[in-house]
Amino acid sequence: MSRLREPLTVLAFLLPVLVLFGAFRFLPMLGAAGLSVTDYRPGGDVEFVGAENYAGLVEDRYFLASLRTTAIYVAIYVPLTVAVALGTALLLHSVPWGRGVFRAALFAPYVTSLVLSGVIWKWLFEPAGLLRNPSTVLPALAIVGVWKGFGYAMLILLAGIRTVPADCLEAAEVDGASVWQRFRHMLLPSLRPAIFFVVVVETIGAFQVFDLIYVMTTGGPARASYTLAYAVYQYGFTYFEVGKAAAAGLVLWAIVLLVSLTQRRAFERNP
Amino acid sequence: MRNRIWLTVLLAIVSLIAIAPFVLMVVVALTPRLSPTLPHAWPSSLTLDNFVQLLSTESFLRWTGNTVIYSSVSVVAVLLSASMAGYVFARKRFPGRDALLWSLLSTLMVPFHAVLMPSVVIIQLLGWADTYWGLIIPTLANAQAVLLLRQFIRALPDEVFDAARIDGAGNWRVYWTIVLPLCRPVLATLAVFVFLWHWNDFLWPLVVSGNGDTSTLTVGLSTLDAGHLTIPELMSAATVTGLPCLLVFLVVQRRLVSTVSFAGPGR
Repeated sequence: MSRLREPLTVLAFLLPVLVLFGAFRFLPMLGAAGLSVTDYRPGGDVEFVGAENYAGLVEDRYFLASLRTTAIYVAIYVPLTVAVALGTALLLHSVPWGRGVFRAALFAPYVTSLVLSGVIWKWLFEPAGLLRNPSTVLPALAIVGVWKGFGYAMLILLAGIRTVPADCLEAAEVDGASVWQRFRHMLLPSLRPAIFFVVVVETIGAFQVFDLIYVMTTGGPARASYTLAYAVYQYGFTYFEVGKAAAAGLVLWAIVLLVSLTQRRAFERNP
Repeated sequence: MRNRIWLTVLLAIVSLIAIAPFVLMVVVALTPRLSPTLPHAWPSSLTLDNFVQLLSTESFLRWTGNTVIYSSVSVVAVLLSASMAGYVFARKRFPGRDALLWSLLSTLMVPFHAVLMPSVVIIQLLGWADTYWGLIIPTLANAQAVLLLRQFIRALPDEVFDAARIDGAGNWRVYWTIVLPLCRPVLATLAVFVFLWHWNDFLWPLVVSGNGDTSTLTVGLSTLDAGHLTIPELMSAATVTGLPCLLVFLVVQRRLVSTVSFAGPGR
């Protein structure tokens, strides 16, 4: 084989992925930074406006409120997801039979779309009016999010529980360790990496909550569920302020990055 | 032992709560369109009329067709492109290989909303708004698929590749006659995941296709509302949207579950 042919073949194998990622992942990352300092409008002239879009975000009280709303949603959604996932994983681990059936039932909501979840639960919540009350709308949305999403965390945690040898747990039981003691001192320590992973993934996901809000509340009532991701969409596709939408998207990215780094440091500090 | 029975009962109750919304959806979808529905009244009779009505609606058929195209084309294209890249990432040495793999994976940390506007601008500049090209091609960049296949191909025994080399098989031949057949189990699982991601995808079809010719079921379903339709009609549309995913899941659930535990699904 000639010396030049091998590198060319390698390149040929990589080419589809390189083109796809170049044009539709990396180029948009640069494009986001570029758009955020312009006044781009579809079909219009483009002018450099410096930090004007960012200044516009800081002055927009709805945008500032959206940061708070998003944080509240994350603060409800993430602990609830981890609690439900951990509870169901422990139950699945300890039942003597029917595990496969229960697991399938619990995981089923995960394979359907958020739009479908939104449509069903909007109807289920209708009699109680939870989505029409500004103080209950975020918990209601979080419940739907947890129902739809906890299956993934449950499977990850279940895999973590399986790494604890069953005979160790049995030995501890024989030695008179209570259920709580076995959970606290045997399961929990070996589950820590899995819990950390789940918390990080779910936090990143929760900051981007969009589909449910689009379908169930469109940010209402009285902007009580107007989140950051929904603000990005509104700027871009309702008001056609593309630059401002790109800037808001970058703010979302920065927050997600900052939160995951903080979580990582917290985890490393007391492993 | 008594304890375990109580735990099983508890788990059964939680599992029922998890699937109850789907059961209610299907029951209401089968309720005659103008009769009172749950939670006010159990249906006095069941009917398939809502589905018949729905599946003779031009727009609903178009959404369904588009969703089938969006999901199936994406599955084939992602499996091919990702397995090609996975093969060289796993089996070839070339400068910058690890850096490249890491930079592909780093895109997983970027919220889609951060690149939403530039992606849409690129689609508009390409003239791909409301086309299958614009809908499908950008979603084929799938880092998890590349990673999963790379891991799997790396774990294949070296001897197979050595033997092929000695027999004088070139890279394309190795890829086509060795890598793809040996990867069949992981490709099958990945196909299911990619199918589910695209079938359920909402934001991208929303901004590329909107209500246009290439609109999908999720976007279509989000435009239907209880103001224009009765609840049984709405729920029958929801059922058609969700049923394929639930059926696929039931058929392959064991394999799907073990992959999640092994690699995580993501998106």
